[in-house]
Amino acid sequence: MLAQQEVLRSNKMGNIIKLTPSGKPDTSVARAEETRLLVDVRDNASTESFDKFFGIFTPKLVAWVTSRGCAMGEAESVVQDVMVSAWSRAKSFDSSKASARTWIYTLARNRMIDLYRSGTRRAAAHEEVGTLAETMEPMQDEPQKDLARNQVIDAVETLPAEQRDVIFKVYFEGRSHREIAEELDLPLGTVKSRARLGFQKLRKSFKDSI
Amino acid sequence: MNIQHHPSDAWLLDFACGNLPPLFDQIIKAHVDVCPVCKEVVKDAERLGGELLNAFGQSHSIPVEMCHEKYGDISHTSYDASRAESTGHVADLEKLVSTYLDSSFNALPWKSFGEGLKLCRLIKEDNVQMWMLRGQPGVTLPVHSHKGSELTLVMKGAYFCGSQIFQAGDIEEADETVEHQPVITSGGECICLAVTEGQLEFKKVLPRIVQKFVGI
Ligand SMILES: [Zn+2]
Repeated sequence: MLAQQEVLRSNKMGNIIKLTPSGKPDTSVARAEETRLLVDVRDNASTESFDKFFGIFTPKLVAWVTSRGCAMGEAESVVQDVMVSAWSRAKSFDSSKASARTWIYTLARNRMIDLYRSGTRRAAAHEEVGTLAETMEPMQDEPQKDLARNQVIDAVETLPAEQRDVIFKVYFEGRSHREIAEELDLPLGTVKSRARLGFQKLRKSFKDSI
Repeated sequence: MNIQHHPSDAWLLDFACGNLPPLFDQIIKAHVDVCPVCKEVVKDAERLGGELLNAFGQSHSIPVEMCHEKYGDISHTSYDASRAESTGHVADLEKLVSTYLDSSFNALPWKSFGEGLKLCRLIKEDNVQMWMLRGQPGVTLPVHSHKGSELTLVMKGAYFCGSQIFQAGDIEEADETVEHQPVITSGGECICLAVTEGQLEFKKVLPRIVQKFVGI
């Protein structure tokens, strides 16, 4: 049973990132609710819905941005930028094309690319991120009733370890396959095929559920 | 357009995660913009990104007030999300080509690299450079290997590499394990956009001398 199992990973700084699936499997209300909130922001400029949306995603985004090497103070300002653009660009959200979480992910990703362009990413990646481990601790007591979230972790956990590690580094550490090959001292082709196999399995397992 | 050669999933994952150095990001984007197959892969990779993002434990919140003051004047916010927009609609390669091949194309600092072959370096960032190649039909490029990754996007015409043919829209991947010698097909002029990490390594002396002047 995955529900109580914690998934531990250490990131490139050697700190532990904790993914915490919790709560009982339920329907994936969470995804639908996020999308409903965003649609309300889009159609009615509802600040109330935006505050809820904000509450759901800022902690996740701060964690994500931090795991990719942003120092704490900077992560906050990056996420703030992402949220400001979420508000101002809500009109471009099309719920038939993407879920709210995918949409916000692409905004955050684009922001990271801008940082990469300006050279900030590399500078930040070399800074110490001492508080990361604490940052990743779950603070909310409220159980997450989100089947999809468990499914994701389930699917990732059933990958062979070597594929899982590559997928993890790509998504959570923001490392390119070439950087991973150098870090793990593996041939480039090996990393490429692990990424491909891992991704293909995840892609397949999500096809029906998302 | 009949695209046969796509970047591998590893490249597309890196693209969807924003992990690529800017010049590699740009050339992958140029291909994805014209390739429905890769567009699907990127969409799924982004979808997975959204789900993985959601799997992060609840942790650190920013006080919502921090944003309230900012999103008050929403209509004036200018955030560059052009990338998201442009991957969303179907661009065509001709448009891309025309941005490079407009009237100023001939004014680019082309340098001759042997008969019927011209090269032009467009941008250099750190040890990554973006350049263009313009070869006449039947021309053979000097044999070379690489010191890092290389992606080549065919914009016009076609070339052979071994038994494979690369045509408009195709991407060819190479790296330090690959030594190749492209040959332009007899069909017509071939124009490619390439992004290369590190310097190319030519096997023969003559191209190596020319290389010093061209700067590739
Ligand atoms: Zn493709």
